[in-house]
Amino acid sequence: MTSDLDIIVAGGGRVGFQTAELLANRGHDATIIESDERIVSEIADEWVATVIQGDATDPDIIEQAGVDRADAIAALTGETGLNLAVCLAALELQPEIRTVARIDRASAESYTRFVDAILFPERAGARVAANEIVGSDVQTLVDMTGDLEIMLVRVAEGAPAAGKRLADVRLPAGALIVSDDDGNRIARSDTTLTAGSRYVVAIEPDVADEVMNLMRG
Amino acid sequence: MGQGSRGPSAELGLLDATMIGMGAMIGAGIFVLTGLAADIAGPAAIVVFALNGVVTAFTGLSYAELAASIPKSGGGYAFVREIFNDFSSFIMGWMLWFAYMIAGGLYALGFAPNFLELLHVYGIVPSPDEVGAIVLPVVDTAVPLAFALAFVAVIGLVALNAVSTAASGSAETIFTIIKVSILVVFVGFGLSSPMLSEAEFQPLFPEGTGAAAILPAMGLTFIAFEGYDLITTVTEEVENPRENIPKAIFVSLAATVVVYLAVVAVAIGTLGADGLADAGEAGIAAAATSFMPTGLPVIRNGGALIVFGAVFSTLTALNAVVIASSRVAFSMGREGQLLPSFGQLHHRYGTPFVAILASAVVMLGSVTLPTQSAGNMASLFFLLSFIIVNVAVIRLRRERPNMNRPYEMPLYPAPPLIGIVLNLILAGVLVEYLIRTDLLALMLSAAWILLGGIAYLGLNRLRAEPARIPTDGDTEITPEVED
Amino acid sequence: MLDSKDLRVIVVGSGRTGLQTARLLDDRGHNVIIIERNPDRVQELVDERVATIIEGDATNSEILRQAGPEQADVIATMTDTMGTNFTVCTLATEINPDIRTVMRSVYETTEDYAKFVDDIVFPERAGARATVNAVESGIQALKDTSAQVDLLEIRIAPGAPIAGQTLADVNLPKGCVVISDIEQTRIATADTELRPGQTYVIAVEPGGVDEIRQLFRG
Repeated sequence: MTSDLDIIVAGGGRVGFQTAELLANRGHDATIIESDERIVSEIADEWVATVIQGDATDPDIIEQAGVDRADAIAALTGETGLNLAVCLAALELQPEIRTVARIDRASAESYTRFVDAILFPERAGARVAANEIVGSDVQTLVDMTGDLEIMLVRVAEGAPAAGKRLADVRLPAGALIVSDDDGNRIARSDTTLTAGSRYVVAIEPDVADEVMNLMRG
Repeated sequence: MGQGSRGPSAELGLLDATMIGMGAMIGAGIFVLTGLAADIAGPAAIVVFALNGVVTAFTGLSYAELAASIPKSGGGYAFVREIFNDFSSFIMGWMLWFAYMIAGGLYALGFAPNFLELLHVYGIVPSPDEVGAIVLPVVDTAVPLAFALAFVAVIGLVALNAVSTAASGSAETIFTIIKVSILVVFVGFGLSSPMLSEAEFQPLFPEGTGAAAILPAMGLTFIAFEGYDLITTVTEEVENPRENIPKAIFVSLAATVVVYLAVVAVAIGTLGADGLADAGEAGIAAAATSFMPTGLPVIRNGGALIVFGAVFSTLTALNAVVIASSRVAFSMGREGQLLPSFGQLHHRYGTPFVAILASAVVMLGSVTLPTQSAGNMASLFFLLSFIIVNVAVIRLRRERPNMNRPYEMPLYPAPPLIGIVLNLILAGVLVEYLIRTDLLALMLSAAWILLGGIAYLGLNRLRAEPARIPTDGDTEITPEVED
Repeated sequence: MLDSKDLRVIVVGSGRTGLQTARLLDDRGHNVIIIERNPDRVQELVDERVATIIEGDATNSEILRQAGPEQADVIATMTDTMGTNFTVCTLATEINPDIRTVMRSVYETTEDYAKFVDDIVFPERAGARATVNAVESGIQALKDTSAQVDLLEIRIAPGAPIAGQTLADVNLPKGCVVISDIEQTRIATADTELRPGQTYVIAVEPGGVDEIRQLFRG
């Protein structure tokens, strides 16, 4: 086994492409299979993966994507039945391959009998959307195994830390501002805590009060 | 705090990518190899460079097609790895790695005499020739010094690259512009020099060997055009690579051929093929000191500018191949085709530490070779690996017809087939030439391939052993419902 | 603040993501009104009984007004056309300047829109993170953020370059920060030991993940 995985992504739509891009960001090799010529051309511009143009249920196409060497195949088209067919065809050609199929409704969960993992990306997407819609000012992001908490905290108008640069805010030991406003970059010492923006913050429980006081007022 | 501090990689445009290719090709080759080529082919050295440009253009097309459709930054090795089985891709990587390491030795060997020449222009080291116009190889006193210098250059650049992540591509752009400007100055003064004479080109071909002398000289100087492999090692950082990479390959190749022809024509036209051949690795520098104006402020001797160009070029080219060779070894390590430690970053420096050190060992060893042997071996291995790259294009077209190819070469399958045939002919001529003149280089080459075979078998045995301790315990596959 | 009361939310577009979002909000006890243009989908929605449905084009202010933006706390535009989403958000803000606007994006980078709406979500990223988690072991993306910074839980592989070092000894690339100490009870410090087999939470900007993986996973 090599340290970088070879992964075939069937379906180059938004979820498929985004997945290939994440994999490429992590240093893995992704090969996308996509039948729509227009989408193929768009993906090629992004240059994140080798693209095979064709029908992902066609064994010849799956072979061209290098199924004999692939560690996993993720069938991510919008059609559940097609995804299952892709996974089964890949298993036929390479019994060792790990299979992941996208489903379009919760009731398709029984497919785990045939594939290694199923996923319902709209649920993950909807959860993010619902969290944004509810727009909590303090939101726990991660269930950690330990006591540490990672939260998304909105800096309140008039809070002691509002408008200050990170370098000028005396955070207690045991607290760490992780991200820039709205989580798009890692915080630097010149990151400014803007009122109304949200920041990823890691906090040990005993200083949580103090941090909330600084950020929420 | 666990906060990161190393810089991210830069975004490169078409100009940067072109300059990376030109920087590698115009780098040391022109300064180091011109004299050696003139030694073999006489005034026909100019034909040698022109034909090499043509030969290499076919492989350039293959590189363009592969780089546009396979989004990996590994250069030739990554492309071949995509389609060939374990052994073929291993041999490809093994040969390319060697080619870069020997090229490192070659550039270090080219650096040393030019550096001595620079010191000499300013009277820091003595020269047998008091006037300082033409440098003859300073056989007795300077050679040990030259070796020491070559060693120091390799060690210095290896150390630099081992402890810090590579300089960004935009620095490379500035370097290349400096190099090309210096050569333009050289050509400009050369063309207006009264020394320039067409008579130097008569007869074009050396007496005795005639036109046949061109082929071995092409073999020797083939390495001068390997730069497009370097472009494809940075593709991930290039904007809009599907358009810019093929463009960068063609533009850099065309521009390089033009620069080469102009420089070689001036060098032969002023100094004569014999004078050029006598100056060896410092050929261009010697030609420059013969016609550049003297008595200038600050630099005093105009030739010094060209000599500085030679020193600067060999050094930056050496730096480029230190990075390139370690990248090949690093990719092979990551693919499990060398020991895994080759594919690991250093925890503190973030560099492929082991891969760089291993490359350095071979590079230092190759510094002890005669310059000509190093040139021949590096060229031979680039020729062989480029043959495989051309085969890879054909195989990919046949086995993966549906693969999206944003750039398709014209007139397929002619270019890769012609590329294979021409590269094979050159490789054959080179081997024949080595049998006649340089058995040591040939044996070292054979030994490297043999060593590769042994390494391959050894690695396979190592992997086959049941030594795979259940690594993490995190590889269990459970059916899961994800969202 | 907002958490404490039941919200009135207008969801525009009820494709898979829009519908799933409406369901989640409904489950949490909020009031949801869906605007859906496609009559066939409206028929399916009626059977779902998750929300009041208004059939029509939300970029038409007559239709939008029927969803009652004056009383709504939030409008979430979830169609897969950026232009539509943006137009509807702007329109809703004109009717009710206090409404919170959440817009779905279909691209990764959305800085252009960020000035004009309150929040932007890119649901495909969450879906893609889930997919990658299903494929790869040893690194798991921690989910439920719309941020571009990846929160990763990484187990250090034995033999990885940084295994056994302390944080002070390693030099990580820019744009990444180790958050948790062993056992995930404390914030990491320079003395934090990177033990093989242990998992650590790390925040990384997207471009740096492969290097992190090489350092932590070998």
